[in-house]
Amino acid sequence: MFRTSHLLLKLAIFALVVLGLLMIFLDARITSTFSEKMLELSAKVYARPLELFAGAALTPDDLAYELQVLGYRTVSAPRRPGEVSRNRSRFDLYARGFHFPEESEPERLVRVEFDGNRIKDVFTGDKRIDLMRLDPVWLGGIIPRQGEDRVLVELDDVPKVFQQGLIAVEDRSFYQHWGFSIGGIARAIFSNLRSGQVVSGGSTITQQLVKNYYLTSERTLVRKLTEVLMAVLLDLHYEKDQILESYINEVYLGQDGPRAVHGFALAAQHYFGRSLEQLDVHQHALLIGMIKGPSLYNPERNPERALQRRNVVLEVMAVQEVITPEQSAAARAMPLGLNKQQRIQDSFPAFLDLVRRQLPQDYREEDLANRGLSIFTSFDPLLQRQLESSTAAVMDQLDRSGKLQSASVVTRIDTGEVAALVGGRKARYAGFNRALDARRPAGSLLKPAIYLTALERPDEYSLATVLSDTPLTIKAAGAKPWQPQNYDRKAHGDVLLYQALAQSYNLASARLGMQLGVDQVVDTLARLGVEEGVPRMPALLLGAGEYSPLDMARMYQTIAAGGFRMPLRSIRDIVDANGEPLQRYPLEYERTVGLQAVHLLHFALRAVVREGTGHGVYRYLPESFAVAGKTGTTNDGRDSWFAGFSGDLLAVSWIGRDDNGVTGLTGGSGALKVWAHFMARTSKEPLAYRMPDGMQTQWIDDFSGFVTGEGCPNSRMLPFIIGSEPRQRTDCAPRDSDTKDWFKSLFGSNG
Amino acid sequence: MRLSHMLFRFTAVGLLILLAACSTYTPPASTPAPVEQPEPEPEPKPKVATPPAKLPQTPPRPATPSASAALQPLLAKAAQATERGEYEQALALLERAQRVDPDSAEVYLGMAQTHQARGNAAQARATAERGLLYCASEAQCNALRAYTR
Repeated sequence: MFRTSHLLLKLAIFALVVLGLLMIFLDARITSTFSEKMLELSAKVYARPLELFAGAALTPDDLAYELQVLGYRTVSAPRRPGEVSRNRSRFDLYARGFHFPEESEPERLVRVEFDGNRIKDVFTGDKRIDLMRLDPVWLGGIIPRQGEDRVLVELDDVPKVFQQGLIAVEDRSFYQHWGFSIGGIARAIFSNLRSGQVVSGGSTITQQLVKNYYLTSERTLVRKLTEVLMAVLLDLHYEKDQILESYINEVYLGQDGPRAVHGFALAAQHYFGRSLEQLDVHQHALLIGMIKGPSLYNPERNPERALQRRNVVLEVMAVQEVITPEQSAAARAMPLGLNKQQRIQDSFPAFLDLVRRQLPQDYREEDLANRGLSIFTSFDPLLQRQLESSTAAVMDQLDRSGKLQSASVVTRIDTGEVAALVGGRKARYAGFNRALDARRPAGSLLKPAIYLTALERPDEYSLATVLSDTPLTIKAAGAKPWQPQNYDRKAHGDVLLYQALAQSYNLASARLGMQLGVDQVVDTLARLGVEEGVPRMPALLLGAGEYSPLDMARMYQTIAAGGFRMPLRSIRDIVDANGEPLQRYPLEYERTVGLQAVHLLHFALRAVVREGTGHGVYRYLPESFAVAGKTGTTNDGRDSWFAGFSGDLLAVSWIGRDDNGVTGLTGGSGALKVWAHFMARTSKEPLAYRMPDGMQTQWIDDFSGFVTGEGCPNSRMLPFIIGSEPRQRTDCAPRDSDTKDWFKSLFGSNG
Repeated sequence: MRLSHMLFRFTAVGLLILLAACSTYTPPASTPAPVEQPEPEPEPKPKVATPPAKLPQTPPRPATPSASAALQPLLAKAAQATERGEYEQALALLERAQRVDPDSAEVYLGMAQTHQARGNAAQARATAERGLLYCASEAQCNALRAYTR
């Protein structure tokens, strides 16, 4: 007797110790991760704010779109922040104001007047405003570890009726219980016993949240026990409102293609194309009803079942006195009210992906612990919209089958800031981000590195150096002899250096690269910003290796900036909840290649689009608009590339197949079109750098490469680093001439 | 000085457009580009005939019309911040100024001055070198060159 009770006591103590240890373990797990989970939810990512000032190059439709994405409501006379009225080229808008890292922008009624495609004036009342900025578009939240983008809400922004309805349906005693509800569990056990299987969870909101965050969906007693314990601990540590807010942002509400719809804010946009605040009660009820079975009650696939479920929710809301019986009846008479239009969904997964990766590692651990982190980025919704529509327009024309994929990166050449990014044809869906992760050979996109290496040696090379475009065999130790071919399978004999690049001749380029040395070209690539995936072998000269569109953007950014390497930044500032800057990413220039050599390279890249493989761009751009670029095509047209820049923007576009199959496209017949379509509609400044000191132009005979006179046969003007001009002269004397070439037309010399 | 500078810019642009108009390249069929060219100033100005051998300069592009009204207050604030030794703030203001007018050599000059003031000569030099790609007058170019030596 004594022994038995002793044993029982021992067992009981043992059980208590185990339970205690389990509690300690679970408690540690919750306190160490739940705050982080909540905080991660609250890191907000913003686009660049739109600057408004007299003279700004902006179209009225651009402003209208920006305001639309910002959710400004169109009214006849704006009276509250967030309202706008438009009369053709005149906007009256009540700016919301915003706390920016350095200073605050007040909320105020502003008039913006346009003159064509520029802002003519900005006023508030009678006072002229020199410069102001709109509130920045909110791109979403960032959850670094899980790699998802979400639209997040704070509880204060969730309509009260919605909150009450949610509690009425899902967890009536939410504000009273300790994380679990005896009544709920009893009911669940009863119904489970009656049916002989597990049919009901009886979970509180807290339990559901725990389940979503920490547990698998298996239905065992142990898991259930863990869930209850963790729910109690969660309830102990955190405010009810914090738990409810997390739940509202976490709950699963269906699929949007490959993307899971988590949280009511994203669901509101997905199903209704509006924000949660803007929904009517019948729409709230539909979303609340979906929790029970996001797939079963999916209004798009099962509209009737969804309608029934919604009406049940509306009845419960009336019984629980969240709404009046009259409101309930009226709402039940409403149709589902789904958004059938194409969604303007401000979801930019590809760009958020980049931001996430550029968040420094230490942020994820230390500074994310600051609730309410704001991340200000360089994202430009206007450029993004055009990049997406250019991609769609060109890809629909090139490929109806949908097998071809495309990715593009756009930066501002002055700062290296990434302004727009498309990671695939379905730009609004998260998925394989080809702009960052597709690694392909770059074809002739790498050639500028060869030519730049040469042009940095003015004693040996200039744009007029005669190269030999004739067959060659390259033997490397341990490799098969390699015989490169030209795209047209012909050899072109003697060509000038700039022509070889403009026409993208492989034989001349490979010869030049071998003369200079592969190591030298690798070094130049590194100075241009390409260091990974570069094979140190002759095939590199014609583009071998593995490069993402972002890698190519880094290389061409250095070239576009005039020889200054800078990181491609997506983040400008990170600010904590109090508006205190945590980190600024300052603009810094590093000159890594010769300024004069880059200027010569610019000339050759301009020749590419004027008379070489990239001449197709002028089917899109006006003749007078100077740009520079390079086509790239890999074996059998598996990859079609184009990289190029104007005076303000750089874009790199790629077209190819995910299975690396043949596309049938060259750089010029594929990616170039996306690039030029985009540039023609967005770039505001032609390329127009001042020629660096120590350079001059000279008339050259285009066939012999000799110095010649203006007006002589085959004469054309080329820039030179002083002292690098050809020594030989033709015997032609300069004469007056009407011949103008595109390069000469840049100079006012003989106008 | 600013006025003559503007006149020079407009004249240069006018010449550029005239030259572009008689280009030997035939314009392609359709150009949907919404790229706007500023109106050339009809003002006749003594033409400086520069033979190619004497360093012709690409005509500087026109300043964004009246962007200077937006720019000047930022530049002034940045200069004050630099004087107070608040370099981070000065650079933030200058970066905003650069977004307003990315091709303003004045902004580059301000940045170079700020980097120099905080003792970062290498960054001052690189910034000034880049500014030299945009400078429009000899005075402006020389001010930038001072940081590149």
